[in-house]
Amino acid sequence: MLKSWKLKEIVLMSLFAVVFGIVYLLFLHVGNIWAGFIGPIAYEWIFGIWFIVSIICMYIIRKPGAAVVSETIAAAIEVLLGNAVGPRLILSGLVQGLGAEAVFAATRYKRFDLWVLILAGVGSSVFSFVYGYFLGGFAVYSTGYVALMLGIRILSGALLAGVGGKAVADGLLATGSLRGYAISRSKKGEARA
Amino acid sequence: MFAMAFFFDPWTPLVFWVGVLVLQVFFSQIDWKKWLLFMLPFFVTAFGYFWTTLVFAEDQSGPVIWTIGDLQITETQLNHALSLSFRVLAFSSLSLLFALTTNPVTFILSLMQQLKLSPKIAYGVMVGYQFLPVLKDEFVQIGQAHRLRGAGGEKNALQRLLGVRRILIPMLAGAVRKAERAAFAMEARGFTGEQRSSYFQVISIGKVDVVLIALFLFVLVLSCTNGLWLS
Amino acid sequence: MHDVIQFEKVSFRYPDEEKWILENLSFSVQRGERVVITGPSGCGKTTLLYLSNRLYPDNCDGILSGSVKLFGRDSLSFIAGEINHRVATVFQDPDSQFCMQTVEEELAFTLENLHVKRDEMEKRICEVLELTDLTEFRHAIIQKLSGGQKQRIATACALIMEPEVLLLDEPLSHLDPYNAKKYVEWLDELQQKRAMTIVAIEHRLDLWGDFFERSISLNKNEVAPNLEKRRCSIKDDASLVVNKVQTKSFLQETTFVLNQGEIAVLAGPNGSGKSTLLKALCQLIPSNGAVQPKLLGYVPQSPEFLFLTKNVRDEVGFGGGNNVEDMMTRLQLLPIADSHPFAVSHGQKRRVAIAAMLTDGRQVILMDEPTSGQDAQALSELFQLIDERACEGTTFLIVTHDMEFAYCIADSILLMNDGLLTGKFEANEVWVDEQLLLDHHLLPPKGMMLREECFA
Ligand SMILES: Nc1ncnc2c1ncn2[C@@H]1O[C@H](COP(=O)(O)OP(=O)(O)OP(=O)(O)O)[C@@H](O)[C@H]1O
Ligand SMILES: Nc1ncnc2c1ncn2[C@@H]1O[C@H](COP(=O)(O)OP(=O)(O)OP(=O)(O)O)[C@@H](O)[C@H]1O
Ligand SMILES: [Mg+2]
Ligand SMILES: [Mg+2]
Repeated sequence: MLKSWKLKEIVLMSLFAVVFGIVYLLFLHVGNIWAGFIGPIAYEWIFGIWFIVSIICMYIIRKPGAAVVSETIAAAIEVLLGNAVGPRLILSGLVQGLGAEAVFAATRYKRFDLWVLILAGVGSSVFSFVYGYFLGGFAVYSTGYVALMLGIRILSGALLAGVGGKAVADGLLATGSLRGYAISRSKKGEARA
Repeated sequence: MFAMAFFFDPWTPLVFWVGVLVLQVFFSQIDWKKWLLFMLPFFVTAFGYFWTTLVFAEDQSGPVIWTIGDLQITETQLNHALSLSFRVLAFSSLSLLFALTTNPVTFILSLMQQLKLSPKIAYGVMVGYQFLPVLKDEFVQIGQAHRLRGAGGEKNALQRLLGVRRILIPMLAGAVRKAERAAFAMEARGFTGEQRSSYFQVISIGKVDVVLIALFLFVLVLSCTNGLWLS
Repeated sequence: MHDVIQFEKVSFRYPDEEKWILENLSFSVQRGERVVITGPSGCGKTTLLYLSNRLYPDNCDGILSGSVKLFGRDSLSFIAGEINHRVATVFQDPDSQFCMQTVEEELAFTLENLHVKRDEMEKRICEVLELTDLTEFRHAIIQKLSGGQKQRIATACALIMEPEVLLLDEPLSHLDPYNAKKYVEWLDELQQKRAMTIVAIEHRLDLWGDFFERSISLNKNEVAPNLEKRRCSIKDDASLVVNKVQTKSFLQETTFVLNQGEIAVLAGPNGSGKSTLLKALCQLIPSNGAVQPKLLGYVPQSPEFLFLTKNVRDEVGFGGGNNVEDMMTRLQLLPIADSHPFAVSHGQKRRVAIAAMLTDGRQVILMDEPTSGQDAQALSELFQLIDERACEGTTFLIVTHDMEFAYCIADSILLMNDGLLTGKFEANEVWVDEQLLLDHHLLPPKGMMLREECFA
């Protein structure tokens, strides 16, 4: 897999991971404090934010692995930055990335329209929820409460990560700095077609 | 049921947390003030877990030990709540210990040298990570450039907040350019991404590292598998 | 086969652009040659260099036709980074050619890529640092060095590879005259010792003496009029008053006054604090002291710092000036009016920043090395623009390493050394004071010497 990756794509991915690692950390603190008052469900509303880097990177680079790797690096950076939930965060990053990756893989890395990006956000939500269910001990909550959490998380994944990720990447594309990445190539193709 | 009781007993995470703190006292010179500051949000989280578990927990068996208004709190519930809170504290202290004692660059180099992580990924990530302080400057600089050119000058807080949004995209655009140039520089220095035959800076692993890593892995495994035991 | 670089009917264009940058270009460079590539700013010299080290077309989706052969093999048949073991490059922009934090790490990174044995690394690092006279910078953090220092470090990083081919993109453009002279001297020595092939891009050949054996000209250079010494336009009112400006770590207390219509040149060795002073005056870095007026025009050493918009025309017109088209015509920016400011050549970026500041209508304009990387045509236009503005009463403070330009344009000269402003001098006094020039790494301008020969 690594062979087909250009160096500049890897560095881009890790730089984005750094930027969003910082953003993630900020949101973690926002979430933490909020959760102190309304309980763990506070995280669910903003959970989509934590999937955004995988969607942005995949949307720009469009190569197998872009979602998993970027999300994992972002999680690792978040840990390296000094204060995160725990070392297991890297693992959650991996799982979240896999969720998005699975959706992109299902389209064979051919489609990158809004719906696919939204689905990818949902994929991350579902994967991370299943993982969180076992890890976070959600088993102690009542079923209705758990279903509510899942519902909010899916919504958040679809909107914040899917729609939000696309908006950020499109904004970036408009600045002309993404020349030489797959996203610009495809735009040209669409224009010609 | 037995496993559940085992895992939701508050003692395991509590002992674990104390263990981490002891480790911290022995192995590192950590600034405790800084540590407290970093831990503060986690204390809040732990508290959040504590009371929500008390209120929303499903398993309400066991003797009632507390009654607050309509709410009856059983022993099982209290145990779950304490267990979850201590777990949050234990995990966060451990990662904080890791974060405060490990130099990220050395860590990546070590991953590459000891665990044979692909240099393409390792250096890609390291170069990206080294832009961290640069990105901070960039944030300031974009604001300065706006000011120099006679744009900006927003007065109230709302406008300034919107201004920050206007900075995010240029900042990412700057990141894209930096990434590209750093990659060009690496390539121009003959970096092909293949395994290297020798290193200028050899990272050796000391005793403390081994203990920390072992502990780290232990927790990782523990935190991944206890979910499985539960089911 | 002695051709190390061979272009056969090469045409190249960037994606999204209609215009071919290089068209049907053929040339070859033989082993051990010293070749200079010339051509006006924006004609594609840097692009050509990127094709010669295989960064393009792979990394930019550019469209290439014809064949580029390196060491007799098609350049595309090498994997990324492979050919760069034999071909070293010094890029044009001092800010963006490093990937590690300290000088030592950067050098070691290069050696690791080349599979040099560990016990040999130390020796080679010491050697190259000594050769380039940079030993004191070994543990310096690269991002914190001055423009000229970075450019020298970049050369050291290229040389440590002991390459067969050395590609240089305007390597002297940020060096002070003394360092530039030394640079050419030791490059000359080194080339003889190692029989390297050297391909350099350069606008100003006079600094190189007879270093090059051959030149490849990409485009006919338009003949530009020689610069003439301008007439002084100083008025009586003070317009820039600097009182006890000082930064915490480097810049020492600085006080001076410039009058309306005055053009002052700020000169001094690499790393003496010229850029730092300008930044402090614009309040871009924290400093004590007072500066009048508050709002100054500023063209930074790295012009990209200023860019805020999506195309060159908007960028120039950002401040709401009314002679935008005229300014763009004069600085030859019309052909790239719709390009993104970040996707133009280096000299063009600098001219965009200059044009933007000149249309803004500020009363005092600070320029950090506006002359670096400009061709003769652009230089002459720049000279005239500044001259006109000064006559209308604008005050200029210009940092430059170009002594001819300084000689022709300056009313007064500020000299700096080691973070300290040595003083403000009458321009004519400085050029004849040999000790003063030597202390500040300057050389007397050629125009001046010619004139003296006439008188003698
Ligand atoms: N990344 C890019 N994308 C699109 N066009 C570009 C890009 N870089 C440069 N150009 C255009 O290609 C042309 C050649 O640029 P190049 O950098 O090769 O010029 P140059 O001869 O090195 O000029 P200078 O002497 O000013 O450095 C210019 O007209 C420029 O506008
Ligand atoms: N961002 C920075 N942080 C810390 N130190 C810096 C920074 N930039 C420059 N310096 C240091 O300040 C000193 C002066 O640098 P400055 O850039 O002002 O030099 P300069 O006179 O402009 O040189 P040049 O002609 O090479 O551009 C140098 O020793 C440099 O190492
Ligand atoms: Mg160029
Ligand atoms: Mg400077």
